[in-house]
Amino acid sequence: MEAVVTAVFEVLNFGAIMVLVVLGLGVIAGMMGIFNFAHGEFVLLGAYTVYLFHTWALPIWLGMLVAPAVVAAVALVLERLVIRRFYAAPVIAMLGTYALGLAIRESVRGLIGGLYRAVPEPLPGSFDIGAIRIARWRLAIVVITTLVMVGSYLLLTRTGFGLRVRAALENPSLARASGISTDRVYAATFAFGAALAGLAGALVVPVFSLSADLGIRFLIQGFLAVMLGGVGSFEGSVVGAGVIGVMSAALPWAVAPVLADVLVFVIAVVLVRVWPRGFTAGRTV
Amino acid sequence: MSDKSELDDGASMTTRRRFLGSTAWMAGAIATGAGSWMIRPAWGATPIKVGIATDLTGAIGYAGNANANTAKLVMKEINGKGGILGRPIELYVEDTASNESTAVANVRKLIQRDKVDVVFGGITSSMRNAIKDVIVTRGRTLYVYPQLYEGKECTPYIFCTGPTPAQQCDEFIPWLMKNGGKRFALPSANYVWPHVLNQYARKVIEGNGGEVIFEEYYPLDQVEYSATVNKIMTNKVDVVFNTVIPPGVGPFFKQLYEAGFTKRGGRLSCVYYDENTLNINAPHEIEGLASCLDYFRAVTNDEPGSARIQAEYDKQFPGNIVFAAGSAATGMYRGLKLWEAAVMEARSVDREAVAKALDHARITEGPGGPAEMVPGKRHCKMRMYTAVAKQGTYEIVARSKGLVDPKEC
Repeated sequence: MEAVVTAVFEVLNFGAIMVLVVLGLGVIAGMMGIFNFAHGEFVLLGAYTVYLFHTWALPIWLGMLVAPAVVAAVALVLERLVIRRFYAAPVIAMLGTYALGLAIRESVRGLIGGLYRAVPEPLPGSFDIGAIRIARWRLAIVVITTLVMVGSYLLLTRTGFGLRVRAALENPSLARASGISTDRVYAATFAFGAALAGLAGALVVPVFSLSADLGIRFLIQGFLAVMLGGVGSFEGSVVGAGVIGVMSAALPWAVAPVLADVLVFVIAVVLVRVWPRGFTAGRTV
Repeated sequence: MSDKSELDDGASMTTRRRFLGSTAWMAGAIATGAGSWMIRPAWGATPIKVGIATDLTGAIGYAGNANANTAKLVMKEINGKGGILGRPIELYVEDTASNESTAVANVRKLIQRDKVDVVFGGITSSMRNAIKDVIVTRGRTLYVYPQLYEGKECTPYIFCTGPTPAQQCDEFIPWLMKNGGKRFALPSANYVWPHVLNQYARKVIEGNGGEVIFEEYYPLDQVEYSATVNKIMTNKVDVVFNTVIPPGVGPFFKQLYEAGFTKRGGRLSCVYYDENTLNINAPHEIEGLASCLDYFRAVTNDEPGSARIQAEYDKQFPGNIVFAAGSAATGMYRGLKLWEAAVMEARSVDREAVAKALDHARITEGPGGPAEMVPGKRHCKMRMYTAVAKQGTYEIVARSKGLVDPKEC
């Protein structure tokens, strides 16, 4: 019984981490039609910001608050200089963002000497409920992910900003005719997606340790999640990420880990075959 | 873009094109220039050409740079004493870039363009396998491989100067049983080194009356280990003999710590753990982790030869590229010095003559102490040390009585 509860918590926890990492990717892919291959590096930049705060002996939680803003600022600059030229050509956008990602990743690798660096969590240790042991920081990640998820959903569905974002996505020319600066909306959306990536990096770096390849680890699974959920919808990405994350963490409990890794992809391909347009096809935010 | 605007933009287009041209040139210069360089000695006599092929860039760049630094250190030392046979040595360094196909092309340059007399390098086994044919078979050149590895490299003209499974297990596993327990778990990354090392480790564990509770392999990039940790905790495993590698090893050790493995008296062990990998986790998470290598910085406290080498390295290369055993830097030092001894004996750099002398070469001073080649085996006997992580550094807890046999070939 205890083993089952522990398993459920651990699986949920990794599901939450996956959702957190994929949120930003989903927002950018869904709202702008850009597959951002630099997403993993935005995650990395968020993590690196927290690491810098750690080396400067500043509070870790402060770093976690600042990281999304730092990454959003970097993303805004990149969007203005590079990304906005690619909106008409999504395939070239993939290559362009991949190149940006590569540059960021190798710069960070140089800065940290190619090594792995531990970053302490703001809430260390674990506590016991009965015979079940739960790590405080992992629980915090689940809680924060839930809040961020709900917050992002409300932002996109219940606010004027969200309305403009959706209008700019749905029908750019009509949106422009109605006085919405799609140019600015895209820039803001891209920065918002990047900020979510930065937050994800900041929150998960105590769990995975900082290394240059921190973000790329999640990239393929992230795209799989967006594909599974359906491109063009916010809930889709969330559901897709949840499914992929839960499968990646749950399958090793049941089958040999090497097999589990492959099975995640096999199951995902089958799901895409059943729902070719994703779980949430036709019902977008 | 329409014709008109292209005309209008004529001026800026030219500069943009010129800019592209110059950046392309720069990128080319960086790509070919930075990865390949030569260090000439100061004086005249025909130099002996030493090729270094190592991963200066890419995922294990930190290790490759330590290898290149070590080679420079030894070169300076040798040339400072007047060279070998009155000839200075000249280093030719090529980047293998943590990428086998890049490596083969660059190593070919060492052999065909620079015509080096010997090649040192390669860190991973896959790298050694990719470049060895270029060096030894087609290149007809001597090759020295410096990294700890799974053994079984018995190709003629390849000499291995890093520890083998026998050297890392024979004394270490009995120590783990005495200081941990008899129930072992072997969680491992799914590639050749863990598979072959575990075969050997299992033999030693069972031969000493221990028991392997499970041996399991994970994809190289897996970062979630809750199922494994649960298996370790519920099966009352005493010793985790880990061969999971980064990026997985950090989260794995963290999850083990959070589950209370070390708190209940479990012993963590990992035979590639050196000063570089200590930083992957916070010190308290891996407190008590045991490793067994040919050198730790802590050895310098009572081994004057090692202390001299370490001090010299730190003086010449301050910064975060450190001299450590897990990244082959110690094997590189040992290899270069053994080769020097062999050339002195052979009184030539001819491959046959040097190989014959290198077959029984020995040195009295090296990282961790003296070392000698086992005749006919092309592997190296050396001292081995068992160290335990204590608050972010290593403490030596056991050392081999003499030189440990590699038991290869």
